[in-house]
Amino acid sequence: MTTLWDTTGSAVVKELAAQRRTGGAVLSGVALTLVVVADEDRVTEAEDAATVAAEQHPCRILVVVRRQIEAPVPRLDAEVSIGGRLGPGEAVVMRMYGRLALHAESVVLPLLAADAPVVTWWHTQPPSRLTTDALAVIADRRITDSTSAPDQLAALRTRAQDYAPGDTDLAWTRTTAWRATLTSAVDSVAGRRSDAVRVLGGRVEGQPGAATARLLAGWLSSRSGADIDVVQATRHAGDTGVDSVVLQLDQDEEVRVHADRRGGAVISQPYRPDATMALPDRSLGDLLGEELRRLDPDEPYAEALEVTTGVTGLAGRAAVRAHVWVDPAEQDGHGASPASEDDVAEGSPHGEAPTVPLDSEGADEVAEHGEHDTPDPTAPEAVR
Amino acid sequence: MIPNPLRDPRDRRLPRVPEPCALVVFGITGDLARKKLLPAVYDLANRGLLPTNFALLGFARRDWGDQDFAELARDAARNAARTPWREEVWERLANSVRFVQGSFDDDNAFDELAATLDELEGSHGIGGNAAFYLSIPPAMFPVVLKQMQRTRMAESTPDRWRRVVVEKPFGTDLASSRELNELVDSVFSAQDVFRIDHYLGKETVQNLMALRFANELFEPVWNGHHVDSVQITMAEDVGIGGRAGFYEKTGAARDVLQNHLLQLLALTAMEEPVEFSADEIRTEKLKVLRAVSLPQDLRTFAVRGQYEQGWLAGQRAKGYRQEEGVDPSSTTETFAAVRLGVETRRWAGVPFYLRTGKRLPRRVTEIALVFKRAPHLPFADTDTEELGNNQLVVRVQPDEGVTLKFGSKVPGSVMEVRDVSMDFLYGEQFTETSPEAYERLLLDVLLGDATLFPRNAEVEASWSVIDPLEEFWAGSTPEPYRAGEWGPRAADRMLAAEGRRWRRP
Repeated sequence: MTTLWDTTGSAVVKELAAQRRTGGAVLSGVALTLVVVADEDRVTEAEDAATVAAEQHPCRILVVVRRQIEAPVPRLDAEVSIGGRLGPGEAVVMRMYGRLALHAESVVLPLLAADAPVVTWWHTQPPSRLTTDALAVIADRRITDSTSAPDQLAALRTRAQDYAPGDTDLAWTRTTAWRATLTSAVDSVAGRRSDAVRVLGGRVEGQPGAATARLLAGWLSSRSGADIDVVQATRHAGDTGVDSVVLQLDQDEEVRVHADRRGGAVISQPYRPDATMALPDRSLGDLLGEELRRLDPDEPYAEALEVTTGVTGLAGRAAVRAHVWVDPAEQDGHGASPASEDDVAEGSPHGEAPTVPLDSEGADEVAEHGEHDTPDPTAPEAVR
Repeated sequence: MIPNPLRDPRDRRLPRVPEPCALVVFGITGDLARKKLLPAVYDLANRGLLPTNFALLGFARRDWGDQDFAELARDAARNAARTPWREEVWERLANSVRFVQGSFDDDNAFDELAATLDELEGSHGIGGNAAFYLSIPPAMFPVVLKQMQRTRMAESTPDRWRRVVVEKPFGTDLASSRELNELVDSVFSAQDVFRIDHYLGKETVQNLMALRFANELFEPVWNGHHVDSVQITMAEDVGIGGRAGFYEKTGAARDVLQNHLLQLLALTAMEEPVEFSADEIRTEKLKVLRAVSLPQDLRTFAVRGQYEQGWLAGQRAKGYRQEEGVDPSSTTETFAAVRLGVETRRWAGVPFYLRTGKRLPRRVTEIALVFKRAPHLPFADTDTEELGNNQLVVRVQPDEGVTLKFGSKVPGSVMEVRDVSMDFLYGEQFTETSPEAYERLLLDVLLGDATLFPRNAEVEASWSVIDPLEEFWAGSTPEPYRAGEWGPRAADRMLAAEGRRWRRP
């Protein structure tokens, strides 16, 4: 592991290459690049989760911590490690100060694994329009977490309004275990009947304010066509905000699944004894690992999100976003008018946009200066 | 499966979970059950892949209660489980574990087994579905199957399925395998019989199909125009362990060549299946196995060997004849190598060299396609002296992955071309630890997916390849090789006879 203080993006690229060379037989295959955007106070949590995920899916981890946007001088500190504390693969933790934080992609782009998918995960408040963050624009898959927002339902609505195929949310990942259990319970009824089952209605009992509970209800509604809502549970629901789910089936039957709080779910169904299935609490890393398993657009999520928020037409949206430059410093000042990067005037109080680093160490000189030497007054033949 | 409104083919986060069912294991106290089966059941439960209503039934001769059995099962599962141990998962599973004691010829025991199954239907809601795993010597099959027939346990009806899992050896020659197949198929219907060849549960073997049929790059050269020869190796560094009794009667050809190696050959050489379904894949495999030909000159092209004492991995290893329980003048082979042909348009003239052996330098299984040399090399002879044939190697175990070997220029001012290899290591791209083969296969049995299980006709076709070999070898003495060597000299001569040599895996 090497820490580079006040460094440049090209120095980080070089250091990574150097470590790979000296590291010997370290991981050489990289399936994807995981860009983690985290706040300083939650960065350890994010690193731990990314490490767990990297053990499941070898990836290059790039952690971006944006700090002190108002700092007068842009600065980059980076920690480069291969096969160290951040899992088996390559990892770079970057702290960006000043205006550089707004141009994080300038450091991240050359660090992406060649032609491998890019996943960006915000372990922080994501921008309400992802298109304003260049780190979202370069990603093939974008992971947010609405359960960490103060108002989870508002966060879901924001995500629906901003949705583009390839977006996903950890609130949805948290429904997977429930969805598997419910599906299995309905399978079980269908198996007994040897005939198809219809879901006529039902309810999710838990916290109506929890994004996960809402998405679960939304998914059930989207699959069954029935109107299934979240009602307040009598007891406090666990992490996911779901305590139990009741499904009304045709033939006047009912299936009920409730969490037993010991890592299991009890399934009650007609003509069968109660059965318990595993429904473990999952760690953040595990959830992230599930997200990295598939990188194509998640249609069932889009449908569940549509039903949950009432925003329509999600699946039909374009999958590609174009970067929109928004200067946070201007936003609070005089109404956010999206401005282009060129508008930052010389000597503007916001400082200058970082340019190509002065330190050209490791640069391709032939590319920069051309193949033929320009007469160099200091060259020996010139001195002659 | 019956349609379920919550299921969505696009929703691949949801696992494939079998219908409610029971798994009945005969010979639950055996080695395989303890080392592989029980841990696999636990791992499945831990991954949430067992159905809501599930029961595990053990049947063995020992005088045990449910409690003793649960204890043994727990220890076994805990010792060998692949996924982290979670006591609460096991406890849940333990609630549905039952043990039935009895010997296989005991009518009462089987009546009790049938009664227990019925009882579980009520108490655990298994829906009458059951898979019977015969983890017992084949000699016991007739007795057990007769018992199952008598108690009508083996009948699949529209309301419930009954399946049987059979392990190798599937017979000892064509005649006996036919007999065994007829017996099993008379009790269970053919589609309910699952023959486990655990090699086919390995991720790389399944990847072979992805590699061949999902890519544009490989299939065009996957034929006799470009492939010079194919080498399939399955080497083990261990000896016969405590299985002398079994091994003495079997030998390497019947133990490994007949099933694992011929299955790998079939997957390598088969045509593209019309669709990726059990029936279509098995049809294509069967076509290849029927097209396999033996060489005219068996003396040169079929070699068997037996290890003598030697040194392996820094330790002294006994010779085969000195192993406990082995006849000191035994002529059982521990190494077999043969040159086969596949008589199809695609493979005409391409030799398939198969070899397997015990006490070889390392444990490795791989399929190597050796390509022809480039028809013309525009370099000076001295430039390409170190250039060999291009190779595509599928490593089945360990270090599952694919290696491509090709020529590359040595850095420097001289044009010099040397072989380099490009490695794809499975574990580097997807470390999502691939499930243990038994885990995958067990799940497939419960789901009723027969894609990875050979059909009876395949087994019979494989025996028709092995039988003439065994006939030729009968009465001869295997060539000796030292433990820790890559087999007898004759195996090297076999390839040298055609100007080739074995790849060192």
